[in-house]
Amino acid sequence: MAEPNSTFKPIKPKLKPKPRTPKQTPESKYWSSFKNHQIPDLISSITSLTFSPSPPHPFAATHSTSLKIFNPQTLSPSSTISSFSDVVSSASFRCDGLLIAASDLSGLIQVFDVKTRTPLRKLRSHTRPVRFLKYPLHDKLHLVSGGDDAVVKYWDVASETPLLELLGHKDYVRCGDFSPVSHEMCVTGSYDHTVKLWDVRVTGSKTVMEVNHGKPVESVVFLPSGGLVATAGGNSVKIWDFIGGGQMVYSMESHTKTVTSVCVGRVGKENVEEGREHRVLSVGLDGYMKVFDYGRMKVTHSMRFPAPLMSIGFSPDCGVRVIGSSNGVMYVGKRKTKEENMESGLRSFWSLGVEQERRVMRPSYFRYFHRGQGDKPKEGDYLVMRPKKVKLAEHDKLLKKFRHKEALVSVLGNKNPENVVAVMEELVARRKLLKCVENLDNEELGLLLMFLQKYSTVPRFSGLLMGLTKKVLEMRVEDIRSSEALKGQIRNLKRSVEEEIRMQHSLQELQGIISPLLRIAGRG
Amino acid sequence: MIRGGSSYISSPPAFSNDAKRLLVCTANTVSIFSTSTALQVASLEGHTAAVTSVIVVPGTKVLCYCWTASLDGTIRYWDFSVPELLKTLDVKMPIFSMVIPSIVGQPAESNEKLTDVFAYLSIEDKKVQENRPKAMHGQIRKCNLTASRMVGGLILKETPQPEFITVSSSGKFFGIRNKRKLHVWSVPAIDSGRSLAKKITLHHSKTLSVLAFHPTERIVAAGDVTGRILVWRGFGYRTFSTGDELVNKEEEHPGVRGNDDADSCSTWHWHSAEVKVLSFSSDGAYLYSGGKEGVLVVWQLDTGKKKFLPRIGSPLLCFTDSPDPTLSSISCADNLIHMLEMPSMDILKTISGIKLPHSFPGRYEGLSSGFAFDYTSGLVALRTESYGIQFYSLFDDHGMYEVQVCERNHQPGDEISVVVILVALSQDGSMMSTVEVKLPEEGIGGLVCLKFWALGSENKKFTLSTVIYEPHRDAGISAVAFHPTRHMAVSSSYGGDFKVWVCNDEIHQKGQTLQNSGWACLAVGAYKKKPMTAAAFSLDGSVLAVAAETVITLWDPDKNVLLAVIGETFSPIVTLSFAGKSEYLVSVSRDPKPQLSVWNMSKLSLSWSYRLHIEAVACAVDLLSFAVLALLPESSMCTESNESMSQGRDGAILLFNVMDPVPVASWSVRKAKGGGLSFLQGNPSFLEENISDGNAPKELLVYVNGDHEYVLFDPYSNEANEVSMARRKGLVELEETGQVGYASIYGELPEFKRNQTSLVPSVPSERPWETIFSGSSHNLPPLTKLCAAFLESLMEKRTAAVE
Repeated sequence: MAEPNSTFKPIKPKLKPKPRTPKQTPESKYWSSFKNHQIPDLISSITSLTFSPSPPHPFAATHSTSLKIFNPQTLSPSSTISSFSDVVSSASFRCDGLLIAASDLSGLIQVFDVKTRTPLRKLRSHTRPVRFLKYPLHDKLHLVSGGDDAVVKYWDVASETPLLELLGHKDYVRCGDFSPVSHEMCVTGSYDHTVKLWDVRVTGSKTVMEVNHGKPVESVVFLPSGGLVATAGGNSVKIWDFIGGGQMVYSMESHTKTVTSVCVGRVGKENVEEGREHRVLSVGLDGYMKVFDYGRMKVTHSMRFPAPLMSIGFSPDCGVRVIGSSNGVMYVGKRKTKEENMESGLRSFWSLGVEQERRVMRPSYFRYFHRGQGDKPKEGDYLVMRPKKVKLAEHDKLLKKFRHKEALVSVLGNKNPENVVAVMEELVARRKLLKCVENLDNEELGLLLMFLQKYSTVPRFSGLLMGLTKKVLEMRVEDIRSSEALKGQIRNLKRSVEEEIRMQHSLQELQGIISPLLRIAGRG
Repeated sequence: MIRGGSSYISSPPAFSNDAKRLLVCTANTVSIFSTSTALQVASLEGHTAAVTSVIVVPGTKVLCYCWTASLDGTIRYWDFSVPELLKTLDVKMPIFSMVIPSIVGQPAESNEKLTDVFAYLSIEDKKVQENRPKAMHGQIRKCNLTASRMVGGLILKETPQPEFITVSSSGKFFGIRNKRKLHVWSVPAIDSGRSLAKKITLHHSKTLSVLAFHPTERIVAAGDVTGRILVWRGFGYRTFSTGDELVNKEEEHPGVRGNDDADSCSTWHWHSAEVKVLSFSSDGAYLYSGGKEGVLVVWQLDTGKKKFLPRIGSPLLCFTDSPDPTLSSISCADNLIHMLEMPSMDILKTISGIKLPHSFPGRYEGLSSGFAFDYTSGLVALRTESYGIQFYSLFDDHGMYEVQVCERNHQPGDEISVVVILVALSQDGSMMSTVEVKLPEEGIGGLVCLKFWALGSENKKFTLSTVIYEPHRDAGISAVAFHPTRHMAVSSSYGGDFKVWVCNDEIHQKGQTLQNSGWACLAVGAYKKKPMTAAAFSLDGSVLAVAAETVITLWDPDKNVLLAVIGETFSPIVTLSFAGKSEYLVSVSRDPKPQLSVWNMSKLSLSWSYRLHIEAVACAVDLLSFAVLALLPESSMCTESNESMSQGRDGAILLFNVMDPVPVASWSVRKAKGGGLSFLQGNPSFLEENISDGNAPKELLVYVNGDHEYVLFDPYSNEANEVSMARRKGLVELEETGQVGYASIYGELPEFKRNQTSLVPSVPSERPWETIFSGSSHNLPPLTKLCAAFLESLMEKRTAAVE
């Protein structure tokens, strides 16, 4: 059955075209949900960032000759260790998060108690600067390190002795990582373009597998499955399948300068399928952080920072993402985690309960009669809805009363060009626009001319406004001549029109150049 | 056969005594609607012309008798609860309006003393027509209904046109308006054949349009064409008084003109245009008025204060009170009857008829696709004046719902500035496309807007999918057509290009709302910068035909490649249509040289053609036949020997087989101008009716005439011998109702053939090279032209041989 249109319909501006692809994928929304903080004033570049594996996952940053441990909630340094003689190159937490090992360019590796900051062990064997060190995942007794002497050493920490010296690299060893599934396997990357997989059980310090990245390797990381390894070097990040015999799976080349560091990140969302949630985060000297989905082989997010980036870290609980730059600024992204939400929710719930207990409603109290009105409807409740009231703007109210000129003036004062054009179109449909223009007094005419000057060359509106401008000038030429202010408006209008014409000319020239080329291309 | 689509608003409706039913005059019948459900419950059939008045005999709630008067010159008395015809009176002159004051005045006591019941009729006297230059066609006469005869020689008043009589609810007065005068008669207390009603006349300076009587007091209100409402109080004390009342002649009569017999006259002015509706409330405290603005105004009679029911959406035509004081109805010009709950003026229910044709400004007048038919579900989509599309069920004869195309407040009184010019439905009825045009004001602000709609899955209503502003820059759109199977559409424009649109709703995200389900342009095509005037997809969707004025261009819609060009016709093609699955294409061109052409797609040449003014074309989906609605030329109308047969019939439906230029069948129809034609899939319920024939129709043909009345019938039922009986039965009905007739028109066909031979120079047959030079020499085109055609035909023959 047909219903009568008994409600007044407010005018609507024309719809704008929607972009073909949605502006934000859910994933880029997730990555931009990390709220940016800056921790400035660290001296010189941040060489490495590492997170503690135990909650609440404090993170350590190494820069110049000190190591700072930060609290992930407040993002303030909780402790600083500065008993180093040279630039600190790398740090690693033990799996329980109680100890931290750090290396410096003098070739010394020290193990500290995180709480007391006392150096517990000093591992001295490297003759050249140590570039990386790493604790294995579940092993508290050993660690691996490598440096400019091209030797990778496997240490027994308690006795401060290197158990194995893994020889094979022909250039500086720059990076390495333990396998997430076995504490006996590790990879190391070197400036000799190779990445080598070592097994500490294999005697004779022979490499198990070797792949060639093609560029000096800056960073290497095992992906959570334990079979894939991501390596960074030059402008590319490559994914290797080590179980499948060291084949290259994919090479991501979206950085424009050297990639300095990679780490594994996680999309901490429920609706992402299992196994699809891990991403490779990479930073480079071009100042970009890229998020690479190695399941779909696609860069899903990209973010720019104003400085060359040196290192990146991602907290295991997905709460914090840290990027260190070469000028001593740390860019920390922090997400509100669920526990925080829950905690605050819990608190408010309790406080509410207390309040209700205290206040007992009695009929003597005014709010007694309004009790229950704020209640939210339950699922099965039948709702009696009040018809929604259409909120009318000022110009709609005036149009409803057929006060056309007032409506036009009112909307001109509102500075919303879409609405102004919509009102004008409605007036055209009512055959009243020109009458309105005729009846405007000088001040209102000035308003209209100002609007026309600003928007008549905008392509979206020009179809209507160019014609209107002409008509206005024709109809109100006398008034414009007699008023100095209006003359000024006209001069401005003229200028903007001339500029538009100039632009059109140059565009046409451009088209003239291009169109023969296109014609030829089309023929081919 | 199903017919329907009649107007509900030709004359005022009437409520039954219990206010549960509403009697509405619908063409030749009176339809009875339930006021609580707004659905039709019964109909009174019997009149042979339009019913003009229906009067329910008042009484107790169980009493269900009514009088009806019709243009066929009869007055009938019905028991509408059964429904059953009780009595027929033949007046022999068309009755335009009838009132029966005596039964109105004395409710419930009628069976005590059986007095004669007198009716006052407004009739048209046709004999007067030729005699005088200032002919008075309308007459007000008196008729004795009990004795079933006219009161001889008694003519109360003669008017130039038959007028609508208004009666007061007390039954004491009735009156008519006559230009700037108001005639009011007082009904004698004891009415008999001889007693003459006394008359007074009230004058006004403007032409009056409507009048109403106060239910209890001597107050008459009248509206004029400028929107004023005049209220005369205390009229007729001098003339109608029985003598014992004191008449003070020296009294001042403020506002009363001349020597009119009234105490005072006051004027109210709110309406900006003609007042169409005036009615007093049953207690006499309020006056309802309405007009072109579509606003019902309620005046407090004593103070003149106003209350409004705005935005009804269409000019009001009539206000009817019911015996139930909380219910009344208003009839609107767009064929709607709204039931109003009275003190609050809420619209309870709406009886929605088919939307009536409305005028289109200038250049959009002649567009043929005023209707879009839903092939499977038997719906017709019509454009409404309030920028909407009405979906009307042809099988059920009631309005389904309306879709608002343009979100704008409709003000009926205004100049038409926004118009929905095109509506197209896809074959399965799941997609719709509309084109609306905003007409510019002195050259600025014009806008063409193409919209695509998708049928919602739950509520079966169309929702807006995509809006495209100015799809062909500022050029107007001539046609929109949907691909029969895929989500693809084409729009052709007068600006010289056509665009192929596709719906990319394939992008579904798992568990999320579907993104980007919009229509986007796939390809643009043009042919020699000629205006594109029509477009159609072939039934399998592999070929797109676009008419570039006089030639037809064939395209591959996927690759957007021009396949072939065929033509040409004498004047621009306005409609293209593929004939079913066959290789034939039907094109129609109109002024200045109307032509119906059938093109053979495999030979890329004209198959046959007629010089006919075609209003609409419909192609059957499966069979090789198509039907056209042709306007009969003026000449044939005049030369028609049987005057009575051709009366009012200005068109013919011709059913053709594509192979054969001789029509398979034909029907002559009325009001073909602005009509529409389509094949529909047979509805199961309709099949059940005809199942006795042993041959259920697969496809039905629907014809909608210029007044949006329609008829559905099976066009093939004559082809099989065993169903000939059923066919004849259908024909009887056809002839009886006077809309179509078969035998009479069948003789005319040779005339068309004559046209064909004389006007189409090259009548193609299977072997065109033989017929090219046949015919009289003065009829032959110049040799230079013929030579090319001859050579071409030879070439064609050879290619055929190779294949």
